[in-house]
Amino acid sequence: MTTGVRRRSRLLRSQHIFAGVTLTPIMAYMMFFALLPMVWAVVITLFRYSPTRQGDVLGLGGGNPFVGLRNYLDLFSASPNGQLFRVAVKNTLIFALLVLPLNLLITLPLAVLIESVRERLKVVFRTIYFLPTVTSMVAVAIIWGAVYNPTFGLLNLALRAVGLPGRPWLTDATSRVLGVPIPMFCVIVTYVWQDMGYNLVIFIAGLQGIPEAFHEAAVVDGANAWQRFWRITLPLLRPTLTFVIVMTMLSSWQQFVLVDVMMGHGGPSNVTRTLVLHVYETAFRFQEMGLASTVAMALFIIIMVTTLIQMRILRKEWEY
Amino acid sequence: MSQNQLSRREFLRLGAMTAAGALLASCKPAGPTTPTEGPGVQPPAEEAITLRMWSHQNPSFVAANEATIAKFQEANPTVTIAYENFPYDQFIQTIQTSMAAKNEADVMEMFGSWVQSYAKGGTLAEVPADIMSMSKAQELFYKAPLDGYVWEGKLYGLPNEYNLENGAVLTNKRMFEEAGIAFPPKWDSWDALVADAKKLVKMDGDVMTVAGFHYVNGDGLGFLYWEGVLERGADYFANDGIHLNFLSPEAKATVQWLVDMAVVDKVVDPFTFNPNSNWVGTSFFQGMVAIGFIGPWIVPEGKRNYPDFADPWDYVRCPYYGNQMSFAADSGWGKVVSPNSPHIAKAWEFSRFCAADAANARAWNVATSTVPALKAVAEDPTLLNDMSWLGPSLEVLPYGRYVGMLQDRDYIWYTVIATRLVECMQGQRSVDETMALMHEEANAMIDSKLSG
Repeated sequence: MTTGVRRRSRLLRSQHIFAGVTLTPIMAYMMFFALLPMVWAVVITLFRYSPTRQGDVLGLGGGNPFVGLRNYLDLFSASPNGQLFRVAVKNTLIFALLVLPLNLLITLPLAVLIESVRERLKVVFRTIYFLPTVTSMVAVAIIWGAVYNPTFGLLNLALRAVGLPGRPWLTDATSRVLGVPIPMFCVIVTYVWQDMGYNLVIFIAGLQGIPEAFHEAAVVDGANAWQRFWRITLPLLRPTLTFVIVMTMLSSWQQFVLVDVMMGHGGPSNVTRTLVLHVYETAFRFQEMGLASTVAMALFIIIMVTTLIQMRILRKEWEY
Repeated sequence: MSQNQLSRREFLRLGAMTAAGALLASCKPAGPTTPTEGPGVQPPAEEAITLRMWSHQNPSFVAANEATIAKFQEANPTVTIAYENFPYDQFIQTIQTSMAAKNEADVMEMFGSWVQSYAKGGTLAEVPADIMSMSKAQELFYKAPLDGYVWEGKLYGLPNEYNLENGAVLTNKRMFEEAGIAFPPKWDSWDALVADAKKLVKMDGDVMTVAGFHYVNGDGLGFLYWEGVLERGADYFANDGIHLNFLSPEAKATVQWLVDMAVVDKVVDPFTFNPNSNWVGTSFFQGMVAIGFIGPWIVPEGKRNYPDFADPWDYVRCPYYGNQMSFAADSGWGKVVSPNSPHIAKAWEFSRFCAADAANARAWNVATSTVPALKAVAEDPTLLNDMSWLGPSLEVLPYGRYVGMLQDRDYIWYTVIATRLVECMQGQRSVDETMALMHEEANAMIDSKLSG
């Protein structure tokens, strides 16, 4: 073995040791605080588990008996929990499917518009649109709750000022538009208002990453603004678009604060009850953590499947 | 390998034996170093201990607990009480998760209507007889709050509060005067209250800006429903005492009455005033409610959150059906002790100090503006010097009973009764359909809880 090879081998070994020493504590931390709770969550789906009851080993057994797959079957049964679960799935699906296009329809054109103005104005617009994103979701929920208030809310005051009747925006489960309850639309509008700054900044970054040469070439070829957007900007934004779609969908599936704070635990007749709120209430309000973990597993599977589908559909096979 | 050399396994075994020997030696009881008996020997000084206490974070409750703790520590110099309080939601989560790990606080402030579930699960300590016997507790406390702390004939805590919603309503004196209604009103029937409430309603076009009588809230609907059924001579429990009966004629009459007040008499608009919008506890102090069905516990909240609310207000006795008032109450806040506490006797001593000592209990009730669970405090005429608005509420305390074991109190109260009644008022279902649905949902939950 030559001296050079020996030195390289020693270097490689010390690099391995360094990597091992630095990564092990982080790995141990992740194992203890992330993987272990996840495994525990899976385990308690097989038990009728509540910390308010005493069990035998690690709180399991005894007052918290093994129930096998009964918690999973319960999600598809006619039991109150099964019915609430399906309501929550439907609501979350409506929420996610409406938030995504609405968010994209607002943020993408807005990003293009902001990108086309002067640099100084650009900063001003970016700051204004990003402000709601850095605001606490609880504060947003309280502010918008006041906006929608049927008696003194800004929205009804504005409607009455122009001679239109006000309405109970958040508490009338009977009024629907295209089959979607109006309180759900109110939550969606609030959520998009708060979230759009985030996607806007990402789109602006994506737009800035598109080489100017493509646009210049298109101008030379006689393409108008719409053609440049449709034929050049949009295709080249695909990686950004994929990221935005996946992240928006992920966060939509996990909506909790608005439906809890602004809608008061899911709104009238549970029309805005989402899956995460259902998990929270099942665990901490109704004290059934086994059942709550089962719903969380269902949510995990739903999110994983939708994310994989999105990534599959939106994947690209080119770079620029 | 030579004879004198130890293998690694032998070395480890030898090392382990040495360590075990040392450990066993250290575990041996230490011999007396000083004489413990005999003339002239002082009794050993009481060991200094630290008790942990948890409560929710309501500022008036925190101040009341801190004052009681200071007093207890002064009387017990060897005891330190480490007091922690949490926002309400976190408090429940903290209790539940720490119980699973068996590291909950020694003393916990718990709502009486939760106690039976925890006691049933074996996660609370029973009150020792030398601290408080059942008969003594029954003599000292009102039945409604006490029974929430009793499970299978055993006592699992001591109540500080009688959680009262029924018996009196919160009224806005200015609105009565503006409507030309004498104040305080003397209602001899619900019809009389409703007649006044109709005069107190204010509309701006099609929007109700002032509710004449706001009872459409999560707690209020349940309490009025229980009371309506009881005063009509029935019970809301089925014959087995476990399931609920929403299908009796008395239940139907009560539901019809609750719906009619909103739909026919229009004393409240259930779209504008309900559990999710213009909640009675806030809208009263925003000048949007003339008569509000909510217990006196709201007073400190209202004073703190709406310091600029200048309208004169007071509690007024509610009418009732039948010959005698009869209502169900929700127990109330009190003290429970962990079975895992290393200082269980002292923890109970402190709990008794808080709840059963009349002076301490009175101070706690005054500081938190809660209705006393201790009869001696409620019967003390000087109490009204500190809480003048409590008068009408104190009159009804003997007529209450504990609501009973509902298996899942919040589910019955909010998901079944409040949600379904509001839907009925909003026209989504008829009264009969609503009652059938409530009956089915409530009993399905009870069956599900019992089947585990």
